[in-house]
Amino acid sequence: MTDDAPDHRERPEARLDRSARVADCVQLLAIEPLLVHTGDDLLEVLRRAAHQPSTRLIGVVDDAGIMIGVIRIRDLVEDVLANTIPEALMSDLSSVEDVARFGQQVEARIAGEAMLPPAVVPPDATVVAAFRRMLKDGLSGVYMIDADGRPIGYLDRLELAYLATMGLPPTGQRPSDG
Amino acid sequence: MDTWIAAAVFLATYAIIATERLDRTVAALAGGVAMVVLGIVTQEEALAAVELDVILLLASMMVIAGVLRETGFFQWVAIRSVHAAGGDPIRLLIVLAFVTAVLSAFLDNVTTVVLIAPVTLFVAATLGVSPLPFLIAQILASNIGGAATLVGDPPNILIGAATGLDFVDFLVNMAPVAIVVLAASLGWLGWVLRRSVSSTVDVDVALASLDADQVITDVGLLRRSLLVLGLTIVGFLLGGTLGLEPATIALTGATVLLLVTSRDIHAALDEVEWPTIAFFVGLFIVVEGIVAAGIVERIADGLLQLTGGDPTLTTIGLLWFSGVASAVIDNIPYTATMIPVVFELGNAGVPIEPLWWALALGACLGGNATIVGASANVVASGMAARAGHPISFRMFVRYGIPVTLLSLAISSVYLWMRYLT
Repeated sequence: MTDDAPDHRERPEARLDRSARVADCVQLLAIEPLLVHTGDDLLEVLRRAAHQPSTRLIGVVDDAGIMIGVIRIRDLVEDVLANTIPEALMSDLSSVEDVARFGQQVEARIAGEAMLPPAVVPPDATVVAAFRRMLKDGLSGVYMIDADGRPIGYLDRLELAYLATMGLPPTGQRPSDG
Repeated sequence: MDTWIAAAVFLATYAIIATERLDRTVAALAGGVAMVVLGIVTQEEALAAVELDVILLLASMMVIAGVLRETGFFQWVAIRSVHAAGGDPIRLLIVLAFVTAVLSAFLDNVTTVVLIAPVTLFVAATLGVSPLPFLIAQILASNIGGAATLVGDPPNILIGAATGLDFVDFLVNMAPVAIVVLAASLGWLGWVLRRSVSSTVDVDVALASLDADQVITDVGLLRRSLLVLGLTIVGFLLGGTLGLEPATIALTGATVLLLVTSRDIHAALDEVEWPTIAFFVGLFIVVEGIVAAGIVERIADGLLQLTGGDPTLTTIGLLWFSGVASAVIDNIPYTATMIPVVFELGNAGVPIEPLWWALALGACLGGNATIVGASANVVASGMAARAGHPISFRMFVRYGIPVTLLSLAISSVYLWMRYLT
């Protein structure tokens, strides 16, 4: 979003405390989860994600609605490109790890083949715990699940950081450790 | 006493490398340091044993390959080959393996296999078949192609540096047999793998949209890199006439490449596999230790007694022994150890030239027998496993052993016809 493009979503007026509960944050942010099923075609998942850009992590659920994985937008795009425009990726593959990952990508056709392990937090986890979960795996968001493992909300890393730092002066104007 | 100590250090180093109890570079360096600390060789002897020309040749070729890798050249060649192969999956398998062999003759085998792999993986996924037949054929081809030239495989670099045999010598003596071995091996692989790669997909249509030109990241860099690589190969060809060592030519090529591409020196040197370089340094000192302790002389005496000094028996015996040894142990330390042994055999009156080719062929081609026989096998199989297609030991030897036996049989006939009759 640019400076000129107003964000129509309502945000709270006060900064979140670091001990705030995930459930409260989810409610404040009110970002619609983006959930797909394991058997969904990756191209269809890509189209859905493109229509819902404020959800930057896709949740994958099984037939019972239980959260079983997540797909990062970056990975989704790469997986789709590997199958459709592989030239975009090929010349940057220089290490064994890169090539092995490409080998997985060219075979990924459905959500279940592209997903990572689920990134979830319970409703009573704190903001700090949610950040830790997202940063550990380099994820743009995290899903809140109920006691049965069903996703009941989405927490976005950037939006959460916005809430957690709201009202603070710019970094350069704050006293440094030194 | 020195003999026993040197033998113990040597065997311990070999055992650690073979069993991978420690990283092979650490093991070789530890063995080299032990030879000095225990007084088997002096510091001066140890430093003199490190063949700087091998180190510089390896490092320079790694820099050239590293720059070339960034341009997308390997993938470009692979995609062009896919189009050239037409719609036949078996022809695709053979053409991709052939290209891997040709590139491996001039560049590092591991680099070649890894950089051809993305196209291979895409082709296999598009056809809906396992990539393993393609990858196995490429691994085997890379080791055969590497045998063809002085710079294709580390055993050849070691032999060239120790003997003064130049690029043309290797090309004239090794390339003909490597070409026959490659043709026979690909013919056999194409036959036995034909069912594994058959596909119901219309290959021509499925792969038609692949655009080779799109993988080139920097046309200018590619042109300059290829020009320098071409000139370096010409330099290798003329090196003997001009009195230039391969290391001098490769270092010149790498330096010119850095000059004409304005590459950051730190980035360029990051392309050098320093653990491999350090591995060589350690090995040179370990081998110097067993030479100094008289062990090499005894091994050579034992071999002479075994063969009675008969040139044919000694040469063919060395070929097969090297092939079997390289199937189970790293062919780099094996070759480093056998070079002084071959010198001793030559001193005892056995015609030495066929012995060098026997050693080179055995060490390079023997690596194809098992999944641990050569660096390309180990790296490519690890890569395949991480991509979700593990290559089991049994699966590999099902193709590796027949190809190795075929290779050694062809090499035996070649050595006998060309040098021993």
